[in-house]
Amino acid sequence: MTRRDIVTISMIAVGVVLMVVSYFFWAAPWCANAVECSNPRLEWSPAIFVMGVILAFSSAVYYEVAKDKEE
Amino acid sequence: MTRYAMAVDLSRCQGCRACVEACKIENNTPSAVFWMYVFRLEQGEYPNTDISFLPRPCQHCENPPCVKVCPVGARFKRDDGLVLTDYERCIGCRYCEVACPYGVNFFNWRHPDEAFADYQVAFDDPDLEPITGGAIPAYKNPDHDELQGEEQRLTAGSSHFKGVMEKCTFCVQRVDKGRVPACVETCPVGALQFGDIEDSESPISQFVSTKKQFKLLEELGTDPSVIYVGGTPPTHEAREIERPLTGVSHGNA
Amino acid sequence: MATPETKKPLPMGVGSIGAGWLAFMGIAVVGIIFGLVGVLVEQQQGMVSTGMRNLGTMQGATWGVYISLVVYFVGVSFAGITVAALIRLFNLDYLKGVARMAEVMTVVALVLGAAAIIVDLGQPLRGIVNLFRYARPQSPFFGTFALVISGYLYASLVYLYVTSRPDAAVLTEYRSKLRGFFRFWAAGYVDTPDQRERDRRTTFWLALAILPLLVVAHSSLGFVFGLQVGRPGWFGTLQAPAFVVLAGVSGIGHLLVMAAIIRKVLNAEERVGKRAFAWLGRFMMVLLFVYLYFIVVEILTTMYQPSIAEQELSEALLTGRYAWLFWGSSAALVIPLIGLGWMAVTRTWRVSWLVVAGIVVNVGALGKRLLIVVPSQTDGQLLPYGTGTYFPTWVELSVAVGLFSLGAALVAIFMKVFPIIELEESPEREEVSV
Repeated sequence: MTRRDIVTISMIAVGVVLMVVSYFFWAAPWCANAVECSNPRLEWSPAIFVMGVILAFSSAVYYEVAKDKEE
Repeated sequence: MTRYAMAVDLSRCQGCRACVEACKIENNTPSAVFWMYVFRLEQGEYPNTDISFLPRPCQHCENPPCVKVCPVGARFKRDDGLVLTDYERCIGCRYCEVACPYGVNFFNWRHPDEAFADYQVAFDDPDLEPITGGAIPAYKNPDHDELQGEEQRLTAGSSHFKGVMEKCTFCVQRVDKGRVPACVETCPVGALQFGDIEDSESPISQFVSTKKQFKLLEELGTDPSVIYVGGTPPTHEAREIERPLTGVSHGNA
Repeated sequence: MATPETKKPLPMGVGSIGAGWLAFMGIAVVGIIFGLVGVLVEQQQGMVSTGMRNLGTMQGATWGVYISLVVYFVGVSFAGITVAALIRLFNLDYLKGVARMAEVMTVVALVLGAAAIIVDLGQPLRGIVNLFRYARPQSPFFGTFALVISGYLYASLVYLYVTSRPDAAVLTEYRSKLRGFFRFWAAGYVDTPDQRERDRRTTFWLALAILPLLVVAHSSLGFVFGLQVGRPGWFGTLQAPAFVVLAGVSGIGHLLVMAAIIRKVLNAEERVGKRAFAWLGRFMMVLLFVYLYFIVVEILTTMYQPSIAEQELSEALLTGRYAWLFWGSSAALVIPLIGLGWMAVTRTWRVSWLVVAGIVVNVGALGKRLLIVVPSQTDGQLLPYGTGTYFPTWVELSVAVGLFSLGAALVAIFMKVFPIIELEESPEREEVSV
């Protein structure tokens, strides 16, 4: 496993984790009967979700562009 | 747990529209916006027609489709049952309007100052100015500018900004002070009742108990908080007569 | 190192601006300005300048041309990246010539879709901020905003970048003003078998990752309509799949027109060959079949034992006020299907007919989008409000013209900055050793 592989997989993993956590835990809960249902648990969590998607797909750019450094 | 509800006695309603007028004055709604609305329905063919009236405020559903679809959480439901719109957060996508089966939502198509242009009052009349202080419309309820409730959000009154949604609030600025909505207070024949339906001693619970009740479009699963007694649900043969003059005309206003 | 190529002009018309291109851009700019005027009027006067009005007591439709355009453009974007991904996944070499223009079409269509949403908001600037700050996953718009506009757009840009690096590297060998730009784009690309293997792997996995993102994103757009129990004509399980399929139809139609124009303008008839057009034609034909099957199923279902509200809506669509639009759009989908079927059976694929088919299905798709959005609001009320009316004003039409012009301009600009048709693997490149 080269350093390039490790960084790529980490980027994807971190991206997916950010997506899952921000969607299920930080964004507004899936309900409609209380004031809390209209507010995200963490403000700007949708932006974090989008960052997660961007990070995961940016791994492809990194993998393509990164120089070959054998471990 | 409080759950505010409104009861409508169709056997008493005679279509005077005092409730519609009171709502307009209390909430300063502009032209062609009817938070409280009263249908005049006709069934059958002349001479065998049957006329009925159907007041239709926002139903403040327990399972509200408008709350579910709001992308930014501007439309929300409070613990006491009121479904309100946060005018500072609303982005004007109008999704709540298409999601609502009852058609109670209104969008501010124009700048608030221009939205009253179809009223028959000259708001810039110099004789009015010392009385109204230049407010448009003539008397603007100062409660509207205050943040309401524990959640402290701007939810009372109408036409704060162009490009946001609004609808009947059960007069949140009055309810939070222990009063009833303007329509309920004004009804000359006592066809409207308001209160905590979870409290069996409250006037509204007494009003609806032992009476045959129905709710509008119950089969959709919205669980509305407006209970109708003394009548039957509108059938599909019912035609609306006396439609509102839309005011905001089609095409460039 | 001076190679024989450095003195030649850049391939595929990159960097060389001719009279035809300037004329095209001139027209596009006029269209864009017209659209901007409409947007300014709308921002100044409020959305009363459109033909939309509140439904119910105001007897209007509150979603109109803008939302139809959003659905239409996002639909077109679907086909672009799908075609590009399928080409890489299944190594369809004869289609390589259209891969990049398909990717560009996706990116441009998504930008237009995002612009159409912004124009439709009552508070657009607040909308952009509040969506990033407060967006709720329970609302189907979350999928449209976070997955389609943000995620899918970025993924398509990545895809476009990764697949275009080899061409950028080739272009650095040419002497041109854009050389520094190409070097930046290529980011040190060196053509070796190892690199090619890496490219293949990356694009394969990217394609594999984008396709499910696509289906989820487009289905969520279908859910925007399909989950609304209060809107007869919208509520239903077929909305999401029907959206995806019509998206494919309109996108491939677009791609056919684009490919025909571009190959003519760049004299690249061999690079974008008949076989590519045949494949696209067949794909569009299959998708049209599926979509028409959905329509027939929907009509039969709603006509067999309809609720009263569904009945009124169906009447308005099939025989009433919207009949001209319904039957017109359906014809605009059925007639090309017959033409495509004929071409498939006789195995003669004429580019000119495919272009006509592509244009006609897009007109039909746009009509269908309008039919999905508007009649449910004017004729689909569950409470006894009267029927409403909706007619777009010049403001909405100007924005539509502006958006299409913007799309054309963006593609034209891209063509001058980067080859829109993938370059052939030049013989010199084979000689480069590890």
